[in-house]
Amino acid sequence: MSCAEPDGRTTPVFELDRTSVLYDGHAALADAHLRVERGEAVALVGPSGAGKTTLLRLLCAAVTPTSGRVLVAGQDLEALSQRKLQGLRARIGFVHQDLALVPNLRVSQNVIAGSLGSLGFLRSVRAMLLPSSRELDRASGILERVGIGEKLFQRTDSLSGGQRQRVAIARALYQEPWAILADEPVSSVDPARARDTVALLRDLCAERGLTLIVSLHDLQLAREILPRLVGLRGGRIVFDRSTQAVSEQDFRELYRLEGRGPDGA
Amino acid sequence: MGLEARATLRRPFAIGRRGFVVLAIVLSAVAALVVLDAPFRALLPQRGGFAIVRAFFAAMFHPAIGYETAVPAGTPSLLAEALAAARRTVVFAAAAMSLAIVAGFVLGFFASTAWWRDPAVGGAGARRRGRRALAGTVWAATRVLIVGMRSVHELLWAVIFLAAFGLNTASAVLAIAIPYAGTLAKVFSEMIDEAPRDSAIAMQAAGAGAAQAFCFGLLPRALPDMCAYSFYRFECAVRSSAVLGFFGFPTLGYSISAAFENLHYSEVWTYLDVLAVLVVAIEIWSGSLRRRFVA
Repeated sequence: MSCAEPDGRTTPVFELDRTSVLYDGHAALADAHLRVERGEAVALVGPSGAGKTTLLRLLCAAVTPTSGRVLVAGQDLEALSQRKLQGLRARIGFVHQDLALVPNLRVSQNVIAGSLGSLGFLRSVRAMLLPSSRELDRASGILERVGIGEKLFQRTDSLSGGQRQRVAIARALYQEPWAILADEPVSSVDPARARDTVALLRDLCAERGLTLIVSLHDLQLAREILPRLVGLRGGRIVFDRSTQAVSEQDFRELYRLEGRGPDGA
Repeated sequence: MGLEARATLRRPFAIGRRGFVVLAIVLSAVAALVVLDAPFRALLPQRGGFAIVRAFFAAMFHPAIGYETAVPAGTPSLLAEALAAARRTVVFAAAAMSLAIVAGFVLGFFASTAWWRDPAVGGAGARRRGRRALAGTVWAATRVLIVGMRSVHELLWAVIFLAAFGLNTASAVLAIAIPYAGTLAKVFSEMIDEAPRDSAIAMQAAGAGAAQAFCFGLLPRALPDMCAYSFYRFECAVRSSAVLGFFGFPTLGYSISAAFENLHYSEVWTYLDVLAVLVVAIEIWSGSLRRRFVA
């Protein structure tokens, strides 16, 4: 945690300012405003295609906005040099929907791959092929914390779906991030495990003071575990409140079936 | 309804596009035989030829254990000689393959579009305009080089090197290594380009550089296939190495041609059997390794 941490008091960690993303003229995200303070835990909810993934990808600069600004730790991403951007990305853990692990590497290698962004090329070759005992200890400690410590030296593709998910989370933690973005992290496991995984993400972030933004298809899960909900529908943010303040009417609105032509988008 | 309408529109005996292709293939086969003046007629052996064929295949059932005629004192036994030739065959192939794999790996890297073109994976050439032009040049030059190496068969390379350097080990090894490096480079580059890119993209999203994402995200996904293919090519190299013996290199081919010229057909079969056992043994060995890599 020695990185230049954002001054959480005054500037939000993540901020979208009238941000829109167009794909082939179709708005994946339209005119979005969002402020996430340091240490917050936020769920993005809404039907598929609502723009949750696009929003997350904006925040780690994997997508550039068509208009509007994306600020991370008060810095406008568009104004950053490639090198600065890389440094920023190295400190944002992203748990992908399809996990994006390398199946034929060991678990330890997949976890240590989290440090690629903060190592030079030669040092990263050394870390990947001949990890020091310090690096292995750290990887092992994180795996222990996410509940699969004994899998350190196994091939990643020998693990179950739920275990692989934990490897992906461990890789994100190994980055020493100050925020974790998770895109539908539970799309491939059964409901009981999904609850555990999301709760684990929340607890991990809480105990380390990390900001967490997680997109979830499963509304019930989001309500149960996360204190703030941002509802998206058709590329627009339709509500953004603390979980207790979200009404049943809001949810009905969010998942209302289409049927009467374009809804104001 | 639409299907029925179309069916009635079709004329009977109409030849579709597929029919044309089949017809064209058959016609060109017939034309080739006519142009070559029915080459099969030449396969009917003359009277003397029949005797040779019979003698040769009769020997199949009793390969020689010892030499068929007297040899100078101190000559190693036939079996020892066959095993030594087999060993040399493998050594030539192994030397050639170790050159070819290194060259194929380097050239395959430069010939992959993932590295040069795709900003999400390697993208070395994708971001800046000056680099993009350079990248295109290197990529195209590598492709041309690979095609050149591949399009000349190893036997032709052997002829060239024999003429240039004479009968020495290096010319045999290079003759195999060059076309094999070309083939490996082509296949390696395709395997790299076909490897799933999600992990490389994720690594770049987490701040990794192009080279890191390529080496740790993309390459490991392609590596099992690359290893399996290299084993397969090693088998091919053993056969090529044996055949190069016909030019005088001391591999199994040399022993076979010498025995054949002396009409020692039983000895020929001994060498052929050793070659067959060798190829099968390598097949079994590399097959088991392949399964370990790919599974």
